[in-house]
Amino acid sequence: MEETTREWCSSMVDNCEEVPTKEVIEFRPPLYKQRYFFVKNLVQQHKPKKVADLGFGDILNRLVLKDPFYVFCRSNLSPSVGDYLVPRDLDLTITLYRGSAVQKDSRLVGFDLMTCIELIEHLDSEDLAKFPEVVFGYYSPRIIIISTPNSEFNPLFPASTFRHLDHKFEWNRIQFQTWASDVANLYDYSVEFTGVGSPPAGAEHVGYCTQIGVFQKNEAKATESCISTPEEHVYETVNPCFQVLVDEIFFLQVFTTAYPSLQEKKNLLLVLSAEVLRASNSMRLRFIVDPKKKKVNGRLVPEDSCVPRYGLIVTDAQRAQIESSPKPYCVGKKFYVPLERLITFPKVNRLVDSVERLRSLLSEALKLNRDQSALQVDLHDHYSRTMLSY
Amino acid sequence: MSGRARARARGRAPGPGATEVGRPSAAPSPTSVDTGDKEASSSSGFVGTSRVSQQREDGISSGDAGCTFIERGGKIRRDVMDLGICTREKLAHVRDCKRGSSGVPVKLVTNLFSLDLPQNWQLYQYHVAYVPELESRRLRIALLYSHAEFSNKAKAFDGTILFLSQKLEDKVTELSSETSKGETVKMTITLIMELPASSPICIQVLNIIFKKIFKKLAMYQIGRNFYKPSEPVEIPQHKLSLWPGFAISVSQFESRLQFTADVSYKVLRNETVLEFMTGICQQTGMSCFAQMCEKQLLGLIVLTRYNNKTYRIDDIDWSVKPTHTFQKQDGTEITYVDYYKQQYDITLSDLNQPVLVSLLKSKRNDNTEARMAHLIPELCFITGLTRQATTDFQLMKVVAEKTRLSPLGRQQCLARLADDIQRNKYARFELETWGLHFGCQMSLTGRVLPSEKILMQDHVCQPVSAAEWSKDMRNCKILSARPLNKWLIICSNRDKNVAEDFLHCLRRAGSSMGFNVDYPKNIKVQENPAAFLSALQKHVDPDVQLVMCILPSNQKSYYDSIKKYLNSFCPVPSQCALTRTLNKQQMMMSIATRIAMQMACKLGGELWAVEIPLKSLMVVGIDVCKDDFSKDMVVVGFVASINPRITRWFSRCILQRTTTDVADCLKVFMTGALNKWYKHNHGLPARIVVYRDGVGDGQLKTLIEYEVPQLLSSVTEASSNTSPKLSVIVVRKKCTPRFFTETDRSVQNPPLGTVVDSEATRPEWYDFYLISRAACRGTVSPTHYNVIYDDNSLKPDHMQRLTFKLCHLYYNWPGLISIPAPCQYAHKLTFLVAQSIHKEPSLELSNSLFYL
Repeated sequence: MEETTREWCSSMVDNCEEVPTKEVIEFRPPLYKQRYFFVKNLVQQHKPKKVADLGFGDILNRLVLKDPFYVFCRSNLSPSVGDYLVPRDLDLTITLYRGSAVQKDSRLVGFDLMTCIELIEHLDSEDLAKFPEVVFGYYSPRIIIISTPNSEFNPLFPASTFRHLDHKFEWNRIQFQTWASDVANLYDYSVEFTGVGSPPAGAEHVGYCTQIGVFQKNEAKATESCISTPEEHVYETVNPCFQVLVDEIFFLQVFTTAYPSLQEKKNLLLVLSAEVLRASNSMRLRFIVDPKKKKVNGRLVPEDSCVPRYGLIVTDAQRAQIESSPKPYCVGKKFYVPLERLITFPKVNRLVDSVERLRSLLSEALKLNRDQSALQVDLHDHYSRTMLSY
Repeated sequence: MSGRARARARGRAPGPGATEVGRPSAAPSPTSVDTGDKEASSSSGFVGTSRVSQQREDGISSGDAGCTFIERGGKIRRDVMDLGICTREKLAHVRDCKRGSSGVPVKLVTNLFSLDLPQNWQLYQYHVAYVPELESRRLRIALLYSHAEFSNKAKAFDGTILFLSQKLEDKVTELSSETSKGETVKMTITLIMELPASSPICIQVLNIIFKKIFKKLAMYQIGRNFYKPSEPVEIPQHKLSLWPGFAISVSQFESRLQFTADVSYKVLRNETVLEFMTGICQQTGMSCFAQMCEKQLLGLIVLTRYNNKTYRIDDIDWSVKPTHTFQKQDGTEITYVDYYKQQYDITLSDLNQPVLVSLLKSKRNDNTEARMAHLIPELCFITGLTRQATTDFQLMKVVAEKTRLSPLGRQQCLARLADDIQRNKYARFELETWGLHFGCQMSLTGRVLPSEKILMQDHVCQPVSAAEWSKDMRNCKILSARPLNKWLIICSNRDKNVAEDFLHCLRRAGSSMGFNVDYPKNIKVQENPAAFLSALQKHVDPDVQLVMCILPSNQKSYYDSIKKYLNSFCPVPSQCALTRTLNKQQMMMSIATRIAMQMACKLGGELWAVEIPLKSLMVVGIDVCKDDFSKDMVVVGFVASINPRITRWFSRCILQRTTTDVADCLKVFMTGALNKWYKHNHGLPARIVVYRDGVGDGQLKTLIEYEVPQLLSSVTEASSNTSPKLSVIVVRKKCTPRFFTETDRSVQNPPLGTVVDSEATRPEWYDFYLISRAACRGTVSPTHYNVIYDDNSLKPDHMQRLTFKLCHLYYNWPGLISIPAPCQYAHKLTFLVAQSIHKEPSLELSNSLFYL
């Protein structure tokens, strides 16, 4: 979910920082990706509902002002075709604002996680002084991630200047940690330090190329409520660039997009129907070739367990669960699969948790038997009628 | 007629709405080798993506620069290429006017929107060079765009070639920019060409502008069209989603630039290729799993979920697994699993799946080897319908129901689109800065040709509806029929009674149309294809006039083996019908009538005729179809009339390598047809009109340079004094314009016989549209005719009317069809060969319509 935004940011860093010069030290995966993976892991771990990324953009960001679409067409902020084909589990809305990181805006209050990746080094001393009050004091999210270059690493690079022309400073570890601890103390956060971009062998003493501070609010109650209901992940991206260019008071909403997800019924129905049909199809084919069937109450019931051989199932436990559920059967030219069996299939079970829910959904898209206890399909479909001879 | 036969007969004729879906499913459209369109279109789709920085010595050249453009290695759309071929200027009789005159004028609304440009509008093409050279295209673009000079200008730039609608002050402009690293980059912008609005490059740039606009309307490009995945039509019971969208283009029509939009649906399967393969595995078992996968999957277009790209599956590499490594562009080795994890954060679940192979088209025209892309089945989604799916009646019915649009519905879609374009702020901005004005929907005047009388043996009938006249000709005698005396019926033991009932009806139907059917020899066999085949081998001898097989099932093997045997090994006309069809009691008589007609034709009979004012006219239909069996073969069909009444036909067919791409055998076929004509009429025809179907985009030039001369040389060699006069017409069923008639507040399909020969036609061609197919529920699509060669110098009016008359003569359907009968015959013939027999049918059958 956060990948898309990450990639968008990465495109900037990609261009301006790492591509033009071939550095002697190469990171694998590239450093910008390591930073994003780091954030991603943290997001997965804490499952925040609302995430804001305060970012810095230079050349491409200036373009945003002139022709916003220029960037969006080439970024992956909008859902891709693949996002429609494989809807996400949970809803996601991405909103892009343009504004300043040192101006308060009420729309950014109430977030669970805020990231400031390679941001603070772009702030001049005046803005840096205002920054903690805005982010820690006013927005006050549960978790804040701040990353910045570690200047101790710089001697390993060929150029002796700052890593980016616009950097106002590059701190060593002590400088960053001092600043961070002071801020954390002031606003009642605890902070842990880590980093990405391990130094090469023999230079371990310089520490990570990028140093990261992870700040957590010292408040136990708030955390609980967030973790228990991870229904919606809103991802907001804030791009504070040059104050002079922007409306002084408000963040400008540049762009917003919503992703298709399984929370929408039509998406769920489509994915569920496909899974259910695949499961029933596999059993139907087993049924057709199985010679041993017996007649019970007008139903033709297989002796075979009718558990599909290929795909669909991974573990023995899953197999056993399917085997212990009611068997499919056949009446006339119709093949029936009890819903209780369908729901034992892992991929079906992942989508719906109860037979009732399965029933109410399927009855809208597929055919069920009269008492709505089983899915009804043709015993011989088009394929078996035309291609196979029995 | 068997269900299959009917499906085939209707495949392109008056069929059910299935063809509506035509675009996405890309049904059996012959030689349309334009897979390219559907395939991996680069996301930018830019005109000249090649980064050639050669020095141009010629400086500025104005005017048409199509060739320079192609030489530079830019991709030019193949249909645009066709537009550059001016055939009309060579045809003196239509140079001034190509419009017909007969018929009743009718006002029509089109799906064309006028695009107005200011007078003397020009496009300026610049070349941009960077010092130092920059690798990143994005950076090159960003640097140029960051200049205030360009901020509010209309521009299209791919990193090398820049198009502007306003001329820069100087021929050479020097600019410099600073990258974030502080490096100074010098950009030299040199004017290369000034292009008028009508030039092909300009039209391509306009197409790019519209692509941009459509992206801004939240549409996604798949292949050449744009779709809206956010408003899908879903068919869960068949695991399908349909994405609504449009096929769009900008091009020069008769007097002005027009934007065309036609509603199109993209069919997507809601399962990955891996899931699809698992399904095949469960169906067939492991023994012929690989073979079956290849049969079902090769040639399909897949969409990868991690980027918005489409690829064609050209092969499956069973030896490569996701755990194997490949070389990345930077030379490092990585496994597929790690690559997708690192690049897209996707975890592959099945480590035993093979990889799909897609050959990528090289963007440059140099002869570098085609690159291959390996795709992971788990990450690919199938677009379009599989061949298996297209034969599934149930499925096709649902798809047709969901996608079929009435003229009104279509009109509403168009109106909404026009509205969206005009309301969208970015679209408006884009159009305005280029100086484009998006106008209203164009109306024009067409004509409805007078209806035709159908000539029977002793009766002239004026059908109530030209769409179908089976009722009108009930109890009328057909023109001529040979009695059927010695024939066989082969059926399974079970179907004995069905056969008897059917025979009874057939004899009754036959006698009422003047076709005498005697009692056949009845052969009962076991219910399997081999039993049918051995019965044929045992009982069919040269005296047998016809063999009828009553097939117990729709299994392809029955039909194919019978047709193969009786068309090439032991040439005897054959008739297949499904038991299921013959079991329909209440329809028995009409089914028997149809089958009687087909049988009469297969014996060389003639059913009906229309009045042909031209004496001594031969008409020819040519079609090309890809072989179903071996993909590198194409089947060329050639069907020529051999009597002045145009009721008897000579049919030839050949299989040839795809690489030649054009019909190679036309000279031989034409000479054969002329000989036949000479034999029957003791002289040569005075005129020959050839209708050529199955022409793909971009093939027009080859047709003119290669096929027409072949036909001409055969015609001139046929006689030493006055040789027949020749006309060649390219027939295309797939064309973008649509026409509607407006009746108070609603729109409808135009009446049958509507001709359009102005405004929606092309200035460089002698062309017209004709609506000769009835659409009961959907929207009718017109057929486009382009006369590329014309010695006959018939008046345009006569050419149009002759074409309309020929659409009445397809004996498999008592009604009008969408293309001239000889083309439909040629199509039917190539389809039979390509689908079932994969061999040239015996010459002995060439005098009858044995393939109906």
